[in-house]
Amino acid sequence: MSRVVVIGAGLAGLVAATRLAQGGARVVLVTKGTGGLPLSQGTIDILGYAPERVTRPLDALAGFAAANPGHPYNLLDADAVRLGVAYLRELAGPEVFVGDPEVNLQLPTAVGAIRPSAVVPAEMAAGACVDGARFLITGPGQLKDFHPQLIAENLARTQLPEGGRLAARWAQLDFPARPGESDSTGLTFARSLDDPAYRRRFAAAVRALVQPGETVGLPAVLGVSDASVLTDLTAQIGAPVFTIPLPPPSVPGVRLNNQLTAAAKAAGVRIIPGAKVIDHRSSNGRLLSVISATAGTPREYAADYFVQATGGFESGALHLDSHNVVHETVFGLPLVGADITELVHGDYWGPPQPLFKVGVGVDASMKVDGPYDNLYAVGGILAGATRWQEKSGEGIAVASAVRAADAVLAAIAATDQTPARDDATQGAQA
Amino acid sequence: MTPHDSNNAHDNNNYAADQVARASLDHCVKCNICETHCPVSAVTPLFSGPKFVGPQAERYRHGESVDHSLDYCSSCGTCTLVCPQGVQIAELNSQARAVMKADHMPLRDQLISRTTLMGMAMTPMAPVANAALGFKPLRMVIEKVVGIHRDAPMPTARTQTLTGWLKKRKAPTKAPTRGSLVYFHGCAGGYFEVETSKRSIEVLEHLGYEVIVPKQSCCGLAQQSNGLFDQATAQILKLCDELRAGGKDLTIISASGSCTGMLKHEAHEIMGVDDSRLADVSTRIRDIMEFLLDLHDAGELPTNFKTIDITVPYHAPCQLKAQGMGQPAMEVLKLIPGVKAIESGVTCCGIAGTYGLKKEKYEIAQAVGQPLFDMVKATNPDLALCDTETCRWQIAKSSGVRTEHPIYLVHQAYGLS
Amino acid sequence: MRTLSADVVVIGGGATGAGVVRDVAMRGYKAVLVDRVDLGQGTTGRYHGLLHSGGRYVVSDPHSASECAQENAILTRIQADAVEETGGYFVATEVDDPAWGDDFARGAAATKVPAEEISVSELLTLEPRLNRKISRAFRVLDGSVDGWQLVWGAANSAKHYGAQILTYHRVTKINRDGDRVAAVICRDDKTGEDVTINCNFVINCAAAWGGQIAAMAGCHDVQVVPGAGIMIAMNHRLTNSVINRLTYPADGDILVPVHTVCVIGTTDQKADDPDKLVISREEVQQMMDCGELLVPGFRDARAIHAWAGARPLVKDSRVGSEDTRHMSRGMSIIDHDSRDGLKGLLTIAGGKLTTYRLMAEHVVDQMCEQLGDVRPCTTANEAVPGSESGKTYQVTHRLHAREEDRLDDQILCECELMSRRQWVNASTPSHRPASTTCAANCDSAWALVRAVFARCGPPGSRWRRSTSTSSGRPA
Repeated sequence: MSRVVVIGAGLAGLVAATRLAQGGARVVLVTKGTGGLPLSQGTIDILGYAPERVTRPLDALAGFAAANPGHPYNLLDADAVRLGVAYLRELAGPEVFVGDPEVNLQLPTAVGAIRPSAVVPAEMAAGACVDGARFLITGPGQLKDFHPQLIAENLARTQLPEGGRLAARWAQLDFPARPGESDSTGLTFARSLDDPAYRRRFAAAVRALVQPGETVGLPAVLGVSDASVLTDLTAQIGAPVFTIPLPPPSVPGVRLNNQLTAAAKAAGVRIIPGAKVIDHRSSNGRLLSVISATAGTPREYAADYFVQATGGFESGALHLDSHNVVHETVFGLPLVGADITELVHGDYWGPPQPLFKVGVGVDASMKVDGPYDNLYAVGGILAGATRWQEKSGEGIAVASAVRAADAVLAAIAATDQTPARDDATQGAQA
Repeated sequence: MTPHDSNNAHDNNNYAADQVARASLDHCVKCNICETHCPVSAVTPLFSGPKFVGPQAERYRHGESVDHSLDYCSSCGTCTLVCPQGVQIAELNSQARAVMKADHMPLRDQLISRTTLMGMAMTPMAPVANAALGFKPLRMVIEKVVGIHRDAPMPTARTQTLTGWLKKRKAPTKAPTRGSLVYFHGCAGGYFEVETSKRSIEVLEHLGYEVIVPKQSCCGLAQQSNGLFDQATAQILKLCDELRAGGKDLTIISASGSCTGMLKHEAHEIMGVDDSRLADVSTRIRDIMEFLLDLHDAGELPTNFKTIDITVPYHAPCQLKAQGMGQPAMEVLKLIPGVKAIESGVTCCGIAGTYGLKKEKYEIAQAVGQPLFDMVKATNPDLALCDTETCRWQIAKSSGVRTEHPIYLVHQAYGLS
Repeated sequence: MRTLSADVVVIGGGATGAGVVRDVAMRGYKAVLVDRVDLGQGTTGRYHGLLHSGGRYVVSDPHSASECAQENAILTRIQADAVEETGGYFVATEVDDPAWGDDFARGAAATKVPAEEISVSELLTLEPRLNRKISRAFRVLDGSVDGWQLVWGAANSAKHYGAQILTYHRVTKINRDGDRVAAVICRDDKTGEDVTINCNFVINCAAAWGGQIAAMAGCHDVQVVPGAGIMIAMNHRLTNSVINRLTYPADGDILVPVHTVCVIGTTDQKADDPDKLVISREEVQQMMDCGELLVPGFRDARAIHAWAGARPLVKDSRVGSEDTRHMSRGMSIIDHDSRDGLKGLLTIAGGKLTTYRLMAEHVVDQMCEQLGDVRPCTTANEAVPGSESGKTYQVTHRLHAREEDRLDDQILCECELMSRRQWVNASTPSHRPASTTCAANCDSAWALVRAVFARCGPPGSRWRRSTSTSSGRPA
């Protein structure tokens, strides 16, 4: 059985590792810490702005890619995204997501802006901003990053992207997550809402505020382990309920991380957290192993194929040093887009910063343009995208993860048919 | 000698605080991932959470200790493990606690951190000690005087120490085929968890190793986690000398996950012990399950295991997870036919060494461990597996389920019991 | 159009102006201070925060060194809440000549600046992040000082003695009555109203902007050249004491711990306009190199903020030495009576923040002399409001406060541990604004949103009761 090492436990790493393990590879996933999912909103953004607001992301993909040479969507077309999203939905479970990769929903943000996203957690569906909607935005004051007034007043004064307006009013609850606590995180509220008794009291407090015909917008804290919170609250409040994602810790992100981690383990992926890759060995253009920092003495993980899913600047895989030079910190790979003097320009609200497009170059199979034949890259490390501005991060992540995993599995299948395989790369731990 | 090689506690605190962990606090981006994993702040608002007491509060500390609520941190180390930016959050907390404790140390924190003394004192009169510790009124007096909670799990003293067993047992007659190993049993493995040590040694001998058990003392972990860095540093260097006396360049094996963590990581990263003897031991020491999995990965582990039909809950201790090697016990258990090990999925059992023994922390520790106790009882009411001693005592006491080291099943699967 | 009257109008709300208005008020004059923006928004709020022990000048400028040593002791006493007694060291790095330390020791003894040589191993124990190649070290009484706290302390003391502080009052004109100053005309930028302040005397404390003010009174070509210096704040204190290079004063040779950060400074570039200072990439790189020399790994630490301040350097070719009294080499007082034939106007510029009180004493002494009054200076004898206890600032203060209220108040800015209550109090006009250097971590934007909505706490909670405004309409 061929060994694959996946580096990184974000969306791309977990999806690639699981698909590889389900395809029969022996997969070790090494990661410095928890991946980026608990920081995400739990939505699957494919393409939100190109740069104007996009309503049908997959239809817009080819044109957007053509206008942005070097963008990963030049290698990952609409079908690749469809495949990636479908696989992700299969891993997460049928109840988790709603929506259609073909069409963007317009969802309220925590500052009352309206954000396009395609496939979203079920609890966000009723928040679609359509003409004539009537929202009551409410949440506990003890949750300092949820401001009902800000959200409602901004939504109410906004001309909707697809025309029309919605009505929104607000109310603030005095409802602590735990007795005596005035500064609770979203996760503390989510854990409290996992408790049916607390949930009933919370629902009663909200129900008292709702007027007929209103849809209730709550902070995205609807439970972290109990899947029935949304249906319970909807029934007990007696009105449709939706959630608005908050800054981290993001409860929908934490839940998705838990679901995908469980799926990876169930598929047989061996996950090694707290194992930052600090070195590697290679020979004749192939990576032989990666070496991780471990308590005591470093550990070596040998494999036939390696998938780099480390993310970019946000995780430290890309680093801009004090001399203004960008480095890829895991393998020292050559970078695309780093050979510009003004990586950051002074116009903060102006055109995209060239720095954000810096990353690793790959071929259509996600094999890295670099010194190693058996290294693939997926997700945030790929060059060419300004994910936070385009709202393209999850689309690129799942499409590239599936593409790379399938390419590795195909390469394994091809090698397995060659009996005289060099077994040296199957070496033991150092 | 630079001032930082010294064993003086003051120097060590400064060295550690300034050199090791403080350097990492710049990397905190306030992503809150540590907050989402912290088992203590999940159950009580009394703890301000790892991000607050770690990188945030550290910018305000200047040798002086003003934030005593940081003592609610159990030192489980989960925050450091999950941090995506490599901030040594738990280490920052441990160092701040050491500064706090330098001012004031309750009698209890000194007493329960001297594990060898406790074991040595209890062994010769084990039945008396056990009876006394099991006797409620006496425990209430202990709680009042020294602050150990009356219901806290306490080790069961054995009638025979490991050293006693090694002296009296019939030594293996087969000549070793794979060379020699040094065995580090830890205080618990020497005095309380003697069975685990015996099984580990028998498994290693079964595999063909000669097992050398040098005279050894305490690693100082309990003192470290209670902020007593000077005592802990002296302890661990004494232990390093003893283990090194067992044989040069030999691999050192231990079934005591937390003591191994102290040798591998914490003495250096938290207390700033920068000594070549520690560096030597820390690169040679392996957890027993880690060692068995390494053998397997190298194709050198016999897998002619007997079938054991059992579904068993397995809890990976925080101390072991923090070592960055995954969960080797799970991988080894998968090799035994019939064994279905179910990962607990719970972050922490609550005990965190000596944390859950303290009367003001007992309730918190129980709340932290409650999901684990429920999971264990639901999975198998007769047996649970866990790698470290205090966690086993906590699980057994609070769930009522017998809890053993994973080597228990390996020993059985090799037909040794 | 409002009309006020005063004995003395002080123009400029930096440290110099605040010190002068306090001194004038304490001597019993009716005083008004005007500034075009808020207090301390010029050079006072844009420097590195060093409270000099005098050590820096023991060789290059012995007179300044002695003044700094004296004023350091006075400020630590009268403005304790603005001062942190960090202590400091002069260290010879690998590129500095250790023999210079002997000149330093002699200079310190001669100028009565307290200094003692300590072993390098002791230094490294106390400040373990410093470069191990340091060859010599002297301990001095450097401290750090919060410029805003300093200037507000002086202003509040002046108010206590009857002075008026008019911020956002931009001087548009200075009226003369023959050869005398008669009035200062300002525009209140918050209301758009013109304000006339009739007065007998004007002290121009506008520092780098002083030439523009003098010109309004018809005194042309007063050249105050802005000497721009950049500083960079790092995310946390890499040292807990002030670190100076043991060498002749030069660029990038000071590292100062201020509140939760530390600041490396500084450069010296002639600027054309004090309102348009440039921070060049080259200067930033120069500072990073200087930091690296003191603290290895400095370049990998997180830099969070860079700023530039303009030193007011007086270069006035029209003034002969007999016309200008050089009270010290650092500060200059221009008497416009002898220079321009205008009575009732003095311009003061130059000097150091550490000696701001002494500068004020000198210029007000000269004013009294011109007015023929005998009124001695008392500013060194009395603590400003807020510093009566004599307790100096501790970096642990907010962590300590948070320990008390952590369950019943919310933190809005997590880096600076700014609670909702602190924010609401600080944004109340009667209260001194709190000064912080934002560490600009990822949730700083959220801190802003939280701050905007700080007054909208949930009903019935403790923080809500502490505010007078109510939240929005009930739903």
